[in-house]
Amino acid sequence: MDIFKQGQAVDIPTVLKNRDYRVQVQQKLVGHHAHKTVVAAKLNLPGPIKNNAQIKQFFITELQQFEQQLMQQGILFEVATEWLNAVTGPERFYLIGEKQKFHVKQLTTAFEESTPARRLFDLDVLILKEQQVQSISRTELNLPVRKCLICNRNAKECGRARTHSLAELQRKVSQLIVETLVTTEKKQTAVQLAQLGLQAMLDEVTVWPKPGLVDPVEHAAHPDMDHFLFIKSALTLEPYLQKCAMAGLNYPGNDFPALFQELRTLGKRAEQAMLTATAGINTHKGAVFSLGIMTAAVGIALQHKQLTNDNLQRIVRQMLVNLMENDFTQMSTKLSAGQKQYLQYQLGGVRAEASQGYPTVFDYGLKTLRITANLPQNDQNIITLMQLARHADDSTLIKRAGNPAILKWKNQQIDRYFELGASVTDEGRRFLLTLQTEFAKRHLSLGGSADLLILTIFIDKAERTFKDGLYYK
Amino acid sequence: MEIKQTALAGTLESSDIQVTISQGNHGIEIDLDSSVEKLYGKQIRKVIIETIQAYGIENAKVKAVDKGALDCVIKARVMTAVQRALGTSDEPNWEVL
Repeated sequence: MDIFKQGQAVDIPTVLKNRDYRVQVQQKLVGHHAHKTVVAAKLNLPGPIKNNAQIKQFFITELQQFEQQLMQQGILFEVATEWLNAVTGPERFYLIGEKQKFHVKQLTTAFEESTPARRLFDLDVLILKEQQVQSISRTELNLPVRKCLICNRNAKECGRARTHSLAELQRKVSQLIVETLVTTEKKQTAVQLAQLGLQAMLDEVTVWPKPGLVDPVEHAAHPDMDHFLFIKSALTLEPYLQKCAMAGLNYPGNDFPALFQELRTLGKRAEQAMLTATAGINTHKGAVFSLGIMTAAVGIALQHKQLTNDNLQRIVRQMLVNLMENDFTQMSTKLSAGQKQYLQYQLGGVRAEASQGYPTVFDYGLKTLRITANLPQNDQNIITLMQLARHADDSTLIKRAGNPAILKWKNQQIDRYFELGASVTDEGRRFLLTLQTEFAKRHLSLGGSADLLILTIFIDKAERTFKDGLYYK
Repeated sequence: MEIKQTALAGTLESSDIQVTISQGNHGIEIDLDSSVEKLYGKQIRKVIIETIQAYGIENAKVKAVDKGALDCVIKARVMTAVQRALGTSDEPNWEVL
């Protein structure tokens, strides 16, 4: 990709006029803000194309990193003015709340040298010398001078001598900018996916009424929890989900079972963070497992191809190809609820569901969520939850009942709910409330189905957000 | 042509040159301050002199603070300075060259 194929060529008089204007702006800013440090940010790009959509995006997203570095140092800043769309290139002027100008210069130089692409940035720290605005030079601080992008010699000398051809320089600059945009897009995608996962968890706990689950109104089936605890718990998982997304977006090759092993390591740590936040109560253990896998799978799908149901299911199945064998044949003495049920009843629980590529989620959850899209979100999500619960062998339910015969009763109840018109009729809604009371009285839970609802909501959000895939492939 | 009034063009931004031109009596005298003086001082002076001479000016004092400007930038800044000093126009007259 050559970014210099687009954009308006600019001539020297225009560049010089912009430079004159910049100096006027700088003079004014430095004059008016004696107690602050003015930093002028721009790009040094060779050739007549100085701005286009990609250049502007590169400028903005990289400067966000500079701004973050300032914040980490406890330095406040504001943007005094900027022209991001000028044909002469994007520029931004900061007022920085740090009077030690040499300290700011160290920070700007550190930023310019922190990655190869940031060498393209020119962050001038402005001072007044004999009534003229000037920038502090690197040599004043004994910092190394700028190096040429191509040959690493003194950049000023190469620039003056025109040592390298414009084509060669543009090729290098284009490569640096595109590489940076690819990385930035991945980082932003990981942040977005983690937020969608978090939203899915918060959506799930907010839905009311849910038999055997925690909602903001009622949690009698789970007296040790309430929805505040779920919010707290969900928030601890955002960094974990971001790592899962990043793992998927960056995973090289096709050894997806190995990726799953990495996710499990991440998941154990996430579970610890969750348990610390909830004082030992298991709120989102199932979500850590399933949402972690699915977030990574979305990452892989986006990395390689389009985000489709088929691709996601295929990736998850490949990831978990050894799961049943590993978890159900080499069992330690300390068994999980799922492992106990497998030994007792030969029911695979969430592991079976997951290793088959979550058929309940794709065949019932997503389909229901989409055909109910015109209903209020609460009803849409309840109906989807009940469809998922109808088709899942919910291991949390079996554990609470102590007998898989409960599944039959559960199915009869849910069938009745749908016969009555589900949550779109008064009868259906009334029935759901009595069902919630019944679950509470009998201390029954639909915890496994709740995890599947989280997964369904997440996949739906992710597929809609990234329906066009990533821009840079 | 005679320079009557002092005029300035250009900035101290990197890759620019700030040129101040004023009345002189001993040919074109150049006081150059450049970060690349050793390597390019001769070339910079040559561009300045040629640009000024193209206007038929024989005497002028020039103070130039160079921040690594390319020849085309030097030419443009000197032209603006000269035209401001002559009171002709603010825009460089590219026809001169």
